[in-house]
Amino acid sequence: MMMANDFRPEPATNTGERLLDVKGLTIEIDTRRGPATVVDGIDLHVDKGETLGIVGESGCGKSLTMLSLMRLLPNKIKVTKGEANFAGRDLQKLSNAELRKVRGGEVGFIFQDPMTSLNPVMRIGQQLAEPLIYHRGMTKAQARKRAGELLRLVGIPGPDERLDAYPHELSGGMRQRVMIAIGLACNPQLLIADEPTTALDVTIQAQIVDLVKELRDKLGMSVVWITHDLALIAGLVDRINVLYAGTVVEDAPVDALFANPSHPYTQGLLASIPKLTDERSARLSSIGGTPPEPGRRPKGCPFAPRCPLVEQICRDRVPSLEGIGQAGAHRVACFVAQRKLEAA
Amino acid sequence: MSTVPVTTPVETDIEPPVSLWRDAWYRLRRNRLAVFGLIVVIILAFTAAFGPYLTPHDFLSQDLGARNLAPSMSHLFGTDDLGRDVFSRVVYGTRTAFLVAVVVTFIAVLIGVTLGAMAGFFGGLLDRIVMWLTDMTMSIPNLLLVVVINASLKSPIASWMESRYLATLNPIYRETVWVDFLLVFGSMALISWPPYARLVRAQVLSIRSRPYITAAQALGLTNRLILMRYVVPNALGPLIVAVSAGLGTAMVLESAFSFLGVGVNPPTPSWGNMISDGLRVWQHYPHLLAAPAAILGLASVAFSFLGDGLNDALNPRGAK
Repeated sequence: MMMANDFRPEPATNTGERLLDVKGLTIEIDTRRGPATVVDGIDLHVDKGETLGIVGESGCGKSLTMLSLMRLLPNKIKVTKGEANFAGRDLQKLSNAELRKVRGGEVGFIFQDPMTSLNPVMRIGQQLAEPLIYHRGMTKAQARKRAGELLRLVGIPGPDERLDAYPHELSGGMRQRVMIAIGLACNPQLLIADEPTTALDVTIQAQIVDLVKELRDKLGMSVVWITHDLALIAGLVDRINVLYAGTVVEDAPVDALFANPSHPYTQGLLASIPKLTDERSARLSSIGGTPPEPGRRPKGCPFAPRCPLVEQICRDRVPSLEGIGQAGAHRVACFVAQRKLEAA
Repeated sequence: MSTVPVTTPVETDIEPPVSLWRDAWYRLRRNRLAVFGLIVVIILAFTAAFGPYLTPHDFLSQDLGARNLAPSMSHLFGTDDLGRDVFSRVVYGTRTAFLVAVVVTFIAVLIGVTLGAMAGFFGGLLDRIVMWLTDMTMSIPNLLLVVVINASLKSPIASWMESRYLATLNPIYRETVWVDFLLVFGSMALISWPPYARLVRAQVLSIRSRPYITAAQALGLTNRLILMRYVVPNALGPLIVAVSAGLGTAMVLESAFSFLGVGVNPPTPSWGNMISDGLRVWQHYPHLLAAPAAILGLASVAFSFLGDGLNDALNPRGAK
């Protein structure tokens, strides 16, 4: 592609250098009954050039964690503990002006619903140009030219004419491509995609995943992809973190996770994906029960009330993430799984 | 199986999607009352802008030999008790009415939109303070407040200007007409902004939680930029409707104050003080009351038709 030179040419390889390092991040909601913990001391990290998938069911704190990194949480939800280091700076401690440079400039965001995430009264060319003018100090003409290039990059036909379109004149898939183009406008080091395909139909979902994969390889950025669809991102991500009730319960390279899911919750998630080889009459398996309410977390392992393997220790103590398997790349927070490995 | 005839031209032109404003304009055009309102408003605005160059007589020149004349070809609306041409005075009154309406509405919208948008967007203490202010202002009877302001400020300012003139002999202190207007503008704007503030605040509260605002924040844009480019433009529809209705209200208000003698002072012609003058003699010279009253009624009706039409055009779900 002709404009490929405009972008950083580094290949997308995992250099092992931490780009994002979240430690002990705790998020609480102010409710009438007092503060309720939704994210409980979460630890996660993303290396340079790495793609991390964050998987979990609705309400487990996936989106809140990512929004909190950029301090975009709604009013009554607050980070109470922990730190989030991005490229060596604690994002929670930056001044508002510094933070604005990181937002959009160094970290790009793609949101869940492309239908409502674009300003309906602004032409998409202007929306694309906004961060370029603001972060990169481009003139209007430069920004417009670059906006056209970005639209071409994300595969929108007739990009230069589309600059003058309003969001409602584009289809959902096209709008999500525009969102991606906006997220990538300033060559961010990290792209956070918050369930970007949930609102799209299945064929478009695959296109968007492929597009992000292609752009990641071309631009050499790190990606965090939040989803509840394990199968969708299997081919995209390097590593998966499984979230349950605001904690990481399993952290594993993607192959290891599919080959050897160790946490009973992960096993349940994988079992609930329908397979073409299943008996037609077989019922889809599901995990019984519901996640704990934010205000009423169990004392021990948050998954204990739903866990098929539950033991007394699980109800009393919270398991920590411990490495199993080679070099500790595969970690799981489950007493039963950890003991099983020791025995083996 | 039938074959598709290859010669059939395929319709490749897809109708371009219409924008919100073009769509609204289309709906507005089909609303007869709104079109009537729009035409009257345009004529009145034109009269206000260029009328003084078109009138056959000067609005101030008195002809005591031609007092209280009935309408005729040379004096379309007749003459008043000082022999002044009523048509010219009505035309000048249009200018006063428009000037007051536009300036007052502009100031009121500026205050209302700024306060309302900030209150809705930032919330918290700022929101509470702004809402206190609005409620407080709205709780004071409009007419009373304006009467009090004008009655209490006019004479001190006039005597202060007089003493300044005597001290400095600067002719600027002799010109009292603009002080007059300033008081009218100020006091009317002071009572007119709260509805705009409330409207905009309510709009902003609903817009603030839309995903595109979070998306704009995630792009690192400043709050000011988000407010100006993302929040306010999306709140514009209902505001336009309110402004159109507000212009009419402001005109009527100006006439009401002038009628009561706390608005624009004679000899500056205002529909209100013409009506007030005409009322005393209407049994003998009904045209002195009829001419300004009819124009005021027409203007008021035109603005409200236009406002209703805009409301339907910009909120298609509420329309039939």
